Amino acid sequence: MTQEYIDAPAAINLGNLSSESGNAPPVAKDVTYERILEARENEPHNWITYYGAYDGQRYSLLDQINTENVKKLTPAWVFQHGSQGLHAGPSTYAFEAAPLVVDGVMYVSGWDGYVWALDAKTGDKLWQYKHAIPFDVSLCCGNVNRGVAVANGKVFLATLNAHVVALDAESGEMIWDTIHGDVRAAESATVAPLVVKDKVIVGSSGGEFGVRGHLDAYDMETGERVWRCYMIPKPGEPGSETWPEDGEAWQRGGGNCWVTGTYDPELNLLYWGTGNPAPDFDGEVREGDNLYTDCVVAVNADTGEKVWHYQFTPHDLWDYDSNMESILFEQDGRKLLAHFDKNGYFFILDRTNGELVRVTPFVDRINWGEIDAEGNVTPSIYPENEGEEVHFYPGPAGAKEWTHAAYNPETELFYCPVQNTGATIARRRREFKEGMPYWGAHVIVDVEGMSGAVTAFSASTGEEVWRWQSDLPVCASVLTTAGNLVFFGMPSGEFQAIDARTGEHLWKFQCGSGHHSSPTTYSIDGRQYVAVPVGWGAWTEGFLPGLMGNPHGSTIFVFALPEE
Amino acid sequence: MARAREKQLSEVVSELGLDKQNGAAIGRLLNHGGLGHVEVGSDGRMSIQVRIPEDELTYSPSIIVMPHAGELEIEFFNDDTNTHNATVPSNGDFQWLWLPNFSRGKVNVTLDGPGYYWFNSIIGNDEGRGLMGAIVVMGEVPEEAKLDRPPQPRP
Repeated sequence: MTQEYIDAPAAINLGNLSSESGNAPPVAKDVTYERILEARENEPHNWITYYGAYDGQRYSLLDQINTENVKKLTPAWVFQHGSQGLHAGPSTYAFEAAPLVVDGVMYVSGWDGYVWALDAKTGDKLWQYKHAIPFDVSLCCGNVNRGVAVANGKVFLATLNAHVVALDAESGEMIWDTIHGDVRAAESATVAPLVVKDKVIVGSSGGEFGVRGHLDAYDMETGERVWRCYMIPKPGEPGSETWPEDGEAWQRGGGNCWVTGTYDPELNLLYWGTGNPAPDFDGEVREGDNLYTDCVVAVNADTGEKVWHYQFTPHDLWDYDSNMESILFEQDGRKLLAHFDKNGYFFILDRTNGELVRVTPFVDRINWGEIDAEGNVTPSIYPENEGEEVHFYPGPAGAKEWTHAAYNPETELFYCPVQNTGATIARRRREFKEGMPYWGAHVIVDVEGMSGAVTAFSASTGEEVWRWQSDLPVCASVLTTAGNLVFFGMPSGEFQAIDARTGEHLWKFQCGSGHHSSPTTYSIDGRQYVAVPVGWGAWTEGFLPGLMGNPHGSTIFVFALPEE
Repeated sequence: MARAREKQLSEVVSELGLDKQNGAAIGRLLNHGGLGHVEVGSDGRMSIQVRIPEDELTYSPSIIVMPHAGELEIEFFNDDTNTHNATVPSNGDFQWLWLPNFSRGKVNVTLDGPGYYWFNSIIGNDEGRGLMGAIVVMGEVPEEAKLDRPPQPRP
């Protein structure tokens, strides 16, 4: 007997079976390059680009929440999502984004290809986009994404399977989808894109797998790739003399661009940090300085050409990526940039030409080597002999991770999240095979004896002005405001506020999971909000294995003062 | 042990009773509901039929193989005497399909690159009991998306 079947109800988007409205107001259609240029000054109620402004200062002019009233701060709303099905990195997914806000709408990415548009006043979900991510995608550092870009009515996302997609900012529908990298070579993408003029700038991830890092620009309207800047030169190209002449090392050299850069519109230069060389810890197979790894590279935004570079850790043997932000600021009429490197040193450069202005240590324990006042690097402790363990500070997570520092032009202080953790490494040579991890070592990061801080440094001298000390490393970005506040989250779950002038602790709220994201601030109808994604995970084995057992999470907390 | 290792994994799993309900374990080991290749039509469209056999709590096949990235139509048949569903990853959002007893329904999904993607039934612990399958997308990314370097050795 033939089985008779009834027709199943029609298939539907899972997100439609939720309280989402399916549409966002058309607030993003008029977000232009010109608006982003003046974002901080002209629309402090918004946070329309990754750092809030092209200069990377993570400073907001909003001052309704200040040192006097911050103790009254309370949750205004909470957005939760949780984990759906069996996805890549089920134990390493984390919420790392910096939420963008445009005129009352929040655009934020999660792990595993999620993007949400939320009502920034109520937390109600407006729409959801979910990119299908392979379970077996190659990820060095967990299932994470650091945020989206918004312009011309579109939301731009770099996906874990190395695509760049543009979404309709009103509906969340995909407009274009461009392949950015090769997943079979273990390329991925975790960076928050940066819109500059008519282009979307996206850097690649995958440095722990021996890829060749690159920074790309895509046409905002079509998704067509306009330029690509490889950060490892081919033989004969400038910088190739820093790689073995007759080897294949350059083909797997790393130098990825997995954190958003900053931009000077007058110079038309992007300042993009590059990652570690590959293999991370086995330098013998890649003799030389290994340009352009561990650099800030000034890149012409129109052409993708390298204009100058500064290498913070030549011939890196410690996994000291330099992807973290270069904060742009001016002093005595001079265009400068500030960079806290994983290697434990705080650099000030002339951003017109890359000339070193000043370098000073910013963490208590540095014994991998020394950098003198002229920038000369002298290594001391590093994996050298096969199987022979060495212990050094800072460990491979760095004295500061990718999470961001901030600069407050009123206090003229930089605020740096500091990690003070060591690690034991032994060189373990392995043959390169495409798609396989390529560290060249075994790695054991300390689970005891760590500490951390948020430390304030003078912009004019580089000297420490105050320090908020912690028994735990500080692994999340800081935010500073005109209310003389510094906000940051802790691995143990507390979201904190301290006085930007003194470091005095003023307020905290336990969010229930660790912080590894970038808080932002905005206002609607005259009410200031502070938003922070919370969700512990990512490469905790690298930056804080002592808290690998901490609770996971997948929540955005938004705080405000009580309504009158 | 040495003899067991010489056998095909599927034979060993079957012999132990891991490919049925309430055998060796409580449920069925994931991905032991067979493997099927999609059909590629003359227009390039890819399609496949997947069944849920009675009292097996598995998708058959539970491994769907696509030769390359693209759009795929899956027609599900629920031959079981219980209600299940299918939640299938796709660019944009998961496609979710009710599958009452003795029903059939289609989902169309877009998967844009190599790798494998899980689909599942999100009722009770259907997933743990065995109603979880994988869509394997084979192939390479286009040449223009590859790194500018000579071919590299692979495992």
